[in-house]
Amino acid sequence: MSGTETTREADLPDLLAAVGALRRLADQIEDAAVERAIRSNWSWSQVAEALGVTRQAVHKKHAKRLFAAGVVLRRR
Amino acid sequence: MSSGFGRYVHAVVERAGAEAREDGSATTEAQHLLLAIAAEHESTTDRILGSVGLDHRAIREALDQEFERSLSAAGVSLAAFGFSRATAGPDRPRLGTSAKLALERGFSSVARRSDLRPPHVLLGIVRAQVGTVPRALELAGVDRADLEGRVLETLKDDRQ
Repeated sequence: MSGTETTREADLPDLLAAVGALRRLADQIEDAAVERAIRSNWSWSQVAEALGVTRQAVHKKHAKRLFAAGVVLRRR
Repeated sequence: MSSGFGRYVHAVVERAGAEAREDGSATTEAQHLLLAIAAEHESTTDRILGSVGLDHRAIREALDQEFERSLSAAGVSLAAFGFSRATAGPDRPRLGTSAKLALERGFSSVARRSDLRPPHVLLGIVRAQVGTVPRALELAGVDRADLEGRVLETLKDDRQ
């Protein structure tokens, strides 16, 4: 992205929309990556450490979805 | 609020939740309500959307374009990511801020709740001047103000 000095006023709606789109993309990548990691027998602790969050946080966010998806879950 | 309208809103919110799940979204947003309205095929809203060339598929395509354009503003190419989509979760995503705002706008556009009709939900969505929906409408070549006018006209005709 261009620096502040070259960012035109007209780009502001795009920039604001980019924030939401990047968050959405990050969520999509996280969902897909965590699913792939658990399917590949990574432990919740390993996934959590790789994401830089607690094991409890990653388990709370993804376990129900992955259980419903039929992914074999490791013991916490 | 008439029970018919209540049932309609319930059906739209339920469907919007399914759209959000398919989208991999943690929340149901205004764009999911718009997709749900198109999917519900209620006759008056169908007529309004059809008059500007919108149906479920056209809205979906416009939203995908909007996502790609917004990412590209930050120098990110969606095509550059070769990741496969995650499996959707079992829960219906909760209503997000833009969806709540759209519903509130629609509901508050009448003096009496008993006057609420299906196009009021659409009205609440198209009245947003910034955000994902107006950006997607622009990409679909739809004049947002004109669409709002068409919704209001339909509601006016409905009262006569």
